Amino acid sequence: MKFLNKVGEYTKDAIQAAKYIGQGMSVTFDHMRRRPITVQYPYEKLIPSERFRGRIHFEFDKCISCEVCVRVCPINLPVVDWTFNTEMKKKELKSYSIDFGVCIFCGNCVEYCPTNALSMTEEYDLSTFDRHELNFDSVALGRMPTKVTEDPFVKPIRELAYLPKGVIEGHEVPHTARRAGLRPEEIAEATSENK
Amino acid sequence: MYGGIDLQRSLIEILTGLGLPADVAKVIWMLLPMAVMVLGVTVGALVCTWLERKISAAAQQRIGPEYAGPFGLLIPIADVAKLVIKQGTIPAKADPLLYTIGPALVFTSVFLCYLVIPFGQNLIISDIGTGVFFIIAISSVAPIGLLMAGYSSNNKYSLLGGLRAAAQSISYEIPLALAVLAVALMTNGLSTIDIVNQQAEYGILSWNIWRQPIGFVIFIIAALAECERLPFDLPEAEEELVAGYQTEYSGIRFAFFYGGSYANLLLAGLLASILYLGGWELPFPIDRISEALGIEANTAWWQVLAAFIGLTSTLVKTYAFIFFAILLRWTVPRVRIDQLLDLGWKFLLPIGLANLLITAALKLAFPFAFGG
Repeated sequence: MKFLNKVGEYTKDAIQAAKYIGQGMSVTFDHMRRRPITVQYPYEKLIPSERFRGRIHFEFDKCISCEVCVRVCPINLPVVDWTFNTEMKKKELKSYSIDFGVCIFCGNCVEYCPTNALSMTEEYDLSTFDRHELNFDSVALGRMPTKVTEDPFVKPIRELAYLPKGVIEGHEVPHTARRAGLRPEEIAEATSENK
Repeated sequence: MYGGIDLQRSLIEILTGLGLPADVAKVIWMLLPMAVMVLGVTVGALVCTWLERKISAAAQQRIGPEYAGPFGLLIPIADVAKLVIKQGTIPAKADPLLYTIGPALVFTSVFLCYLVIPFGQNLIISDIGTGVFFIIAISSVAPIGLLMAGYSSNNKYSLLGGLRAAAQSISYEIPLALAVLAVALMTNGLSTIDIVNQQAEYGILSWNIWRQPIGFVIFIIAALAECERLPFDLPEAEEELVAGYQTEYSGIRFAFFYGGSYANLLLAGLLASILYLGGWELPFPIDRISEALGIEANTAWWQVLAAFIGLTSTLVKTYAFIFFAILLRWTVPRVRIDQLLDLGWKFLLPIGLANLLITAALKLAFPFAFGG
């Protein structure tokens, strides 16, 4: 009897396993009627989202060499080189640099900069052959990246959160299509009307 | 069955007609099918790699290879070219001889199995009486090659991988042999041709899959394990288990392993189609078509057409199996080594034995349906 019980258990296990594999296969087979959603980088690029934290942009003339960015940085990364100009009785910035090979793009420096000299761009493909090339000086930091939507060689594609209602695939609509839900200004308008 | 087309005789006749001595013509005939077979199997394995990449991509909603040729069809050639030019290194203090023989042995043992695979009624290199036994015997040489490769790499991970591969191959060899034995029992013979002919009578209804459903499942599981494909790819699991016996391999030697594994997958598909899915037979008997159309069965053009239909039928069944294997790869998770051995020894082996017993009993009880 014990042997028969064991055989019964075994059969039950086998049937269960077969059932689970069948369920899994049904999911895999379901993919036959789905289309690829590949973004063919670099010919197609996703539009970075609104608060994307890309490479940092720096405006030389706005900087007052206060070194707040250095203090709030987790690893004191920005290098601020300044001298005290005795005639003007002011700090004078000589050069500024951030090494993006080390930066974690936390955005603290941008957040705390008192003069908004620092800002985030949407540039993310920073790869180079030599990691020392990632050490951006104030000139390199002052360059603006080409926007994905303005690059003639690139087809911009929207992310899921920015697509119209009912669309889940960025290839299906132009990138200018209106996104789902209300825009911030519409929400502001609606709330001011209610008051 | 009628004699069908005899390529051997007609080619030798053509060559002797061109003024060649009969012996030379025979030697040329011997070389030709071998070359065709090696070429065909290589192309088949390359097609498998392309399918693997394309179907994997489809299962994950990717595009897959696209730029090399239309639909990325040239990607296998690019892969091979890359592996051929790549430097083949031999690790320090490794045994260079064993290190080189290992992959060659695996590769050769797989290719030798194709000698007895019938692609059609007469599309076979040699119809020896011990067909499936030959396949099982030859394919069990492969673990020795894997063990050699693992052992000679002078690397503890490779050694463990080689042992894992050998343990797995040996465990699944037995259920595979038991499943094949049940088919052989119903055929009263081991010849691959006989096995297909025995399934020919009533079209799809006489295929072995209806008479051997349990055997078919055992065969599929064991064949996947023999090919070292997911969910049983423990010997070579690239990421998790440090690549097994092929850790140290690169260049052409790695290509041998890789090509061998895909040729093995193709072989498993061919075996599944021959043993269980009626080989080159269509779902309805092709003789009935020629009868219905009023064509003499020995007409030359009809025979060529029938051979093509048979070849297509075999390949369709084979690639259906391969498609299933690839989809399975993206569906089921990899098993642990103890689960793997448990499944082989504690589940497949007793079930295989029971299946064999039941088959023998049914053969005695219903000799008309089970080939008594």
